[in-house]
Amino acid sequence: MSPRVRLVVALVAAVAGVYVFGYWVAQQNAPSDVRLFTQALYVGIAATGLNILTGYNGQVSIGHGAFFGLGAYTSAILVSEHGWNFVPTIPVAMALCFVVGALIGFPALRVKGLYLALVTLGLAVLFPDLTDRFVNGTGGTNLVTLRGAEVAVPDWYVWFPDPIADFFDEWVGAQDQWAYYLTLVLALVLLLGVFLIARSRFGRSLIAVRDHEAAAETVGIDLARVKVTAFALSALYAGTAGSLSVLVNRLANAGKVETFQLSIEFLVAVVVGGAATVFGPMLGAFIVVFLRDRIDNQDSLSDLFSDPNRAKLLSPALFGIALIILMYVLPDGIVGGSRRLVRRLGRRSRRAPAPASPLTS
Amino acid sequence: MALFLSQLMNGIGQGVIYASLALALVLIYKTTGILNFAQGEMALFSTYVTWWLTERGLPVWLSILISVALSFGGGAAIERFVMRPVERSSPLVIVIVTIGLFLSLNSLAQVIFGVEAEVVPRAYPDENWDIGGVIVQADTLVLVGVLAVECILLWALLQKTKIGLALRAVASNPESSRLVGVSVGTMLMLGWGLAAAIGAVAGSLVVPTTTALTAASMQSILVFAFAAAALGGFDSPLGAVVGGLIVGVANSLTTEYVDALDGIELIVPFGLILLVLLFRPAGLFGKVHVERV
Amino acid sequence: MRLRRATRYRFLALTAVLALVLAACGDGRDDDDSSAGGGDDNGESEDGAGDGFEIDTVNCGVDPGTVEITGGTIKFGTSLPQSGTYAAFSSILRGQQAYIDYLNAEKGGVDIGGTKYQIELVAKDDAYAAEQTFSNVQSLVDDDDVFGLFNVVGTKNNLAIRDYVNETCVPNLLAATGSPAWGNPEYPWLLGTFLVPYPLEMVAFVDYLENQKADATIAVLRADDDFGQSYSETLKALIADTELTIVDEQGYDPETGEVASQVTSLAATNADAFVLGATLLACPTALNEVAASGWQPITYMSGTCTSKTLMTIAGASGDAVLSVTPLMDPNDPQWADNDAMVLYKEKVAQYAPADTDVGNGIVAYGWTAAAALEELLSRVEDPTRLGVMQAARTLSDVSGIGLQLPDSTWSVGEDDWFLGENFDLVQYVAADGFFMVAGERLDLPGETEEITPENLING
Repeated sequence: MSPRVRLVVALVAAVAGVYVFGYWVAQQNAPSDVRLFTQALYVGIAATGLNILTGYNGQVSIGHGAFFGLGAYTSAILVSEHGWNFVPTIPVAMALCFVVGALIGFPALRVKGLYLALVTLGLAVLFPDLTDRFVNGTGGTNLVTLRGAEVAVPDWYVWFPDPIADFFDEWVGAQDQWAYYLTLVLALVLLLGVFLIARSRFGRSLIAVRDHEAAAETVGIDLARVKVTAFALSALYAGTAGSLSVLVNRLANAGKVETFQLSIEFLVAVVVGGAATVFGPMLGAFIVVFLRDRIDNQDSLSDLFSDPNRAKLLSPALFGIALIILMYVLPDGIVGGSRRLVRRLGRRSRRAPAPASPLTS
Repeated sequence: MALFLSQLMNGIGQGVIYASLALALVLIYKTTGILNFAQGEMALFSTYVTWWLTERGLPVWLSILISVALSFGGGAAIERFVMRPVERSSPLVIVIVTIGLFLSLNSLAQVIFGVEAEVVPRAYPDENWDIGGVIVQADTLVLVGVLAVECILLWALLQKTKIGLALRAVASNPESSRLVGVSVGTMLMLGWGLAAAIGAVAGSLVVPTTTALTAASMQSILVFAFAAAALGGFDSPLGAVVGGLIVGVANSLTTEYVDALDGIELIVPFGLILLVLLFRPAGLFGKVHVERV
Repeated sequence: MRLRRATRYRFLALTAVLALVLAACGDGRDDDDSSAGGGDDNGESEDGAGDGFEIDTVNCGVDPGTVEITGGTIKFGTSLPQSGTYAAFSSILRGQQAYIDYLNAEKGGVDIGGTKYQIELVAKDDAYAAEQTFSNVQSLVDDDDVFGLFNVVGTKNNLAIRDYVNETCVPNLLAATGSPAWGNPEYPWLLGTFLVPYPLEMVAFVDYLENQKADATIAVLRADDDFGQSYSETLKALIADTELTIVDEQGYDPETGEVASQVTSLAATNADAFVLGATLLACPTALNEVAASGWQPITYMSGTCTSKTLMTIAGASGDAVLSVTPLMDPNDPQWADNDAMVLYKEKVAQYAPADTDVGNGIVAYGWTAAAALEELLSRVEDPTRLGVMQAARTLSDVSGIGLQLPDSTWSVGEDDWFLGENFDLVQYVAADGFFMVAGERLDLPGETEEITPENLING
């Protein structure tokens, strides 16, 4: 593929991306659909973070739903019980999750592989109990709900001169649009973060530790620093996602089933999109979220049952089967699969007449 | 004192429940190297089959036997048709597939067998004995007995038979095993079949003691079973049993004596696991793998 | 290196294509939809609608007095678990739909101010997850244009949508839980259902216990959540001026339902009475454990456990257990010839899916809830959302609907928004498999508000 063609493709993709994500999603869709996109974005953020830990660094965690929850509760409690504005709660959630992630990362140093996965499972299962005990939520439950005013679009833009203020009002005026754009901006920033990490020395250390810990140590990589930082960063991302979810769901909640399912969702997004790739997890998140939505709202199977409502029972099975099929077809994830596809196409084009060899002239 | 012993008995009673499923988890891991998230739901499905058979009038012990046999076949079939295509992929991919299996089996069980809670009868008389103020339940004794038999049979199979040798060989080094003529595929199927059978026994014996069978019956047990297996070491059947007992007893005693942890008793078993893993990274009885640089 | 860049571009192109495909599914945007409400104002009513009868609509997104029933059909939405662990609750829908189908087909619909309207019920699955309930409700209101919500299942689920419903001023009728939280005057747009409020159950039991043994000792097992708390806190408040004492209280995790250790602990106290603030399978499990331990207390069990399924599981251990019910038990032979019961069984057989069990308490509840909806709607004077909610807030003397106990009336009071304050104390007869009435009919209008600790209502 010649450089000029590549450039054109890149430009087209970029323009399409800006149009779709910058304009089309929030301006041309009903609020429920915008919320779905926002959900895909913040699940993508969490998955991207998990990828740092699991994809690049090889530490499998099925407990990141707990960090997500921690971020969600931090934001929800600061807003509803302490009257904070929403946006400042996000850095607090990030910082708190980073610290807690580091704290958890330390004992995780000695625990490897599937044992680590199980310890993190413990985290996912314990977190809801902790909220039951320590969170004084609505109606005596561990649910922290927010009122519309608390997640509403902030009115800072009224300080700007009229044309700009009007522009913002029209584009970001609705709550769902505001939530979407805020999430989009954070997603882009955090994606850039992973992009830079992947190219940095730290990124190479992550991979080195994943592939061969002992060897990495002998070349001078500080194992503890790398692994704990990976944990902390992944927790930060998950916490950010949790925080943003409060804008969409207007609540922070934790239950054993929900927290576990979230943890699995992040992991699935990483694998489906492509582990150890920058954009893979985000793409995987979109697939997982939209797939689940389409499955939950499908009607076609209702005719199989005498009671159409029974068909809803199959939703988890449909999703499970879809996951299995995805793993068969794309075990390297979508990004990994595309790479293989490109490689194969490259090979085919090289099967064109072999270059003249000095021996056959 | 009687209270302490009673709680201890409770802990043992719960512990053997976790151990029963943990044994299946350990067996799958030992023979295929996979962490099987779907083990609980496979056991759930088997238990529903047992229940269905008893509903049709078959005696309980016969229903269990049939269910075990069917589960063996089912487990082998799952390995052949669901897991085989991804067996060479990364462990993460395999985990995702087992998760897909988990979701599917749970949902299918509800569709096929209904959503209402059902009573599964016991295969033995439901007796309790009062020994010095401590209630000992037949349920606990039966499970302990069954676990002991399973452990002995497994040990005999894996350590003393040619098939057992082949199973272990395939788990340790599939390529070399293939070279010496071991049918890797068959061994993997055997491993899954055995684990499914053990899961069927676990479910069919445990669920009657938990008052009713629902789609959620295996989920909390699974979490504790994983904890038990991690504590004991994933490649040790004995570890699974010991781990289960420790988790069960720790839970019971904490509930009784540590009021400060009211509502968050789960901290204890998972804290224990973390503690054990810090000092013995492969669990209490697991084998640590030595790496050559 | 060259190859990687190419892959990246291909991948970006792929995303673009994917996104454009999704674009084809875009619904377009309706910029003046009511979900934009709550921008600068404080979203909730300011004086909390303390008058009870007058709902303050100043802060509603869209004036509910202008949202009318359009066409000949009134559309309601509901969100309930239809898949996952709590899928057993989906049977509620069977009872509801059977009644609605019967109503539409045989009575032409519900009569509101002289005009007959058919009722349409749109159901969405939330698998009992509060976030999904919120998402479903937003979708029902924005996309499906439902007139109101009906019988949304779950305490946390209703709490999750409470603010939204209050701000968009959409009626949320007959929320399917007995939580005291629905009495909160700051949320006039939510009406609880006729299930006996959990605190009132304690009133019934304390009265009974005082008559049996005035200085009885009580052991309590309750769920580690708001549900369990309603029981234990109300109980403590109620016995404060009596000779009754609580000797031990244990909590259990509602998600695992394990109660063995807790029951052992409680049995060791050998208390005279045992209060079981539990639900679902924890009830029969606890009862079995109590029976196995040899302890024989006077046992009270939450009204949420009085279902045939659960009591069959408890078997003999459930004998003589006390509870409450606002409805007739379909398994009780004393109601076999009751007209309402006969109608129920006949119509459910006719309109509900073939494998529906009429003896299932959840189906009976759904049927009665739909009947309550019809009754409420038939009293509406002004066929707008506001009118419907006003009618809900002034509902009084409801009797003879669905499987409501004969000679019972349900009313909502000015300060007391709980419907289910007229009910029977019942006792289970294991040998015959149903609950027998165990005393005089209890009529306690207004008491829930009085005896429940304030933090449980206004929390």
